[in-house]
Amino acid sequence: MLAARTSNARCVKRIARSFATVVDAAGVKVAAVDRNQPTASVTLFIKAGTRFETKEGVANALKNFAFKTTANRSSIGTVRESELYGGLLYSTLDREHLALTAEFLRADAPYFVDVLTSFVTSAVFTRHEFEEVVAPLVASDTAAAAHNPAARAIDIAHNLAFRSGLGSSLFAPEHSKITVDDIKSFATATFSKNNVAVVGTGIDQATLSNLVEKGFAKAKADATATSAPASKYFGGETRLGGHGGPQTAFIGFGTTAAASAELAVLAAHLSPVPSVKWSKGLSPLSSLPQGTSVTPVNLTYSDASLFGLLVQGSTAEGVKEAGTAVVAALKAAAKGIAPEVFTSAVAKAKFAAASATDTREGVIAALGSKIFSTTPGTLDASLSSLEAVSATAFSKAAATLIAAKPTYVTIGDAQLPFADELGL
Amino acid sequence: MFGPVGLSLAPYVRSSRTLSKWIAPVATWYANASGYRKYGFKYDDLLVEETDEVQRALKRLTPAESYDRAFRLKRASQASVLHKPLEKSEWIKPEEDVRYLVPHIENVMKEVDERRAWDDLKVERK
Repeated sequence: MLAARTSNARCVKRIARSFATVVDAAGVKVAAVDRNQPTASVTLFIKAGTRFETKEGVANALKNFAFKTTANRSSIGTVRESELYGGLLYSTLDREHLALTAEFLRADAPYFVDVLTSFVTSAVFTRHEFEEVVAPLVASDTAAAAHNPAARAIDIAHNLAFRSGLGSSLFAPEHSKITVDDIKSFATATFSKNNVAVVGTGIDQATLSNLVEKGFAKAKADATATSAPASKYFGGETRLGGHGGPQTAFIGFGTTAAASAELAVLAAHLSPVPSVKWSKGLSPLSSLPQGTSVTPVNLTYSDASLFGLLVQGSTAEGVKEAGTAVVAALKAAAKGIAPEVFTSAVAKAKFAAASATDTREGVIAALGSKIFSTTPGTLDASLSSLEAVSATAFSKAAATLIAAKPTYVTIGDAQLPFADELGL
Repeated sequence: MFGPVGLSLAPYVRSSRTLSKWIAPVATWYANASGYRKYGFKYDDLLVEETDEVQRALKRLTPAESYDRAFRLKRASQASVLHKPLEKSEWIKPEEDVRYLVPHIENVMKEVDERRAWDDLKVERK
């Protein structure tokens, strides 16, 4: 028993150490975590999210331009060669970063790192590729988001909460006027070494640094890192018709304070997901009306965060009932909750933080969100910051959060409740 | 070889100073004599366009280029109806007669060839 525990502790320490190493390879920040997985992944984070975009939708277009023709290989060459190696290539976009990821067998790292870096150093943005391949992808992203009420609600909530900067939509407008020259100038402005960070999993730090150094040998470093004006929180209410899908309401609050452990605990406290299957759980939102669901959303950015609850249901009445319960639970949390409930919320938040770093996506997200600003903390550090949350700090954080003007979005029928009907 | 862009000795001729000195005047005379410029055509308007490759290349023209191309084709068919070349002021001047389509066709052909190469690729295990 004791032996098991000590070996476990050693293992945790080893992971914690390898979790935090960030080195500079030729001006590019590189972090790697190797847990001896059979496959490896490399993600390039570029500060080219929608926050920095110069024209609506250009960041989304740039995301869809990933892995197209570069000076090294054509787009069909990239696809076919990656297929021969059996790897995966994909690009994702959030409000602050564009992330290009390759997943591959450990031995094929040189090829895949070259695919990623050559897009940053030598992409040729051709007009015909934009018109033939990229523009339809941009349009389909927009169409898919329009039919997903949850994605749409959160996107619009950002716009209400932060207006410009973080408020810009992740998707291009339906009738966008983006040209390939816009994309090219956005890429030239953002693709410089001080705007790029590399996160690897299943790959050795030294190997990755070497490959990155080789890939960025000819890259420019003169451009200053992109920056955007500091975020400001506004809030507001909007109601939109839905294109099918469940009735949706988003009740959110934003803050421009640093990401806090208190909000993570609040999200864990309000999450109605039971710990045991087929049970209702002990969350204050455990007895929702039939057919409705509540999902806590805690999105943290470098200088702001948006905390909210996404209420979805098959009928507007159900959403109204669930929404009222959500607002009541938020207000109760601001007044203070029972100590045993608080302890279990902290434990739940700790488990969520720890289990997120078990998966590749979790590791990449945890490293990527912090790699530009600070050296990413260890898992231990984030767990101890959750542990340090006191019941009074928790209720105080909840109270300050809901004192701000709410960000309220409904998508669906006209009968969906207004903010004041929920007690906001 | 039998594609829209056939074999051409032009690059070789252009690379040699002596040859181009001899051949260029004949080529200029021939291009003028063939008369397409009198009907307001550029040489690339005459390429066979009924193939997938050229159709794809045509889509890659800028909107202004494809508008001008359509205009030249219409103006020439009107001239053909009238059995008369255009007014001399409307003739295409030799310096306007640029190969605006061929670079696109060559790119498309290159892509087609690359796709074929990848399709027929034999993978060897090292």
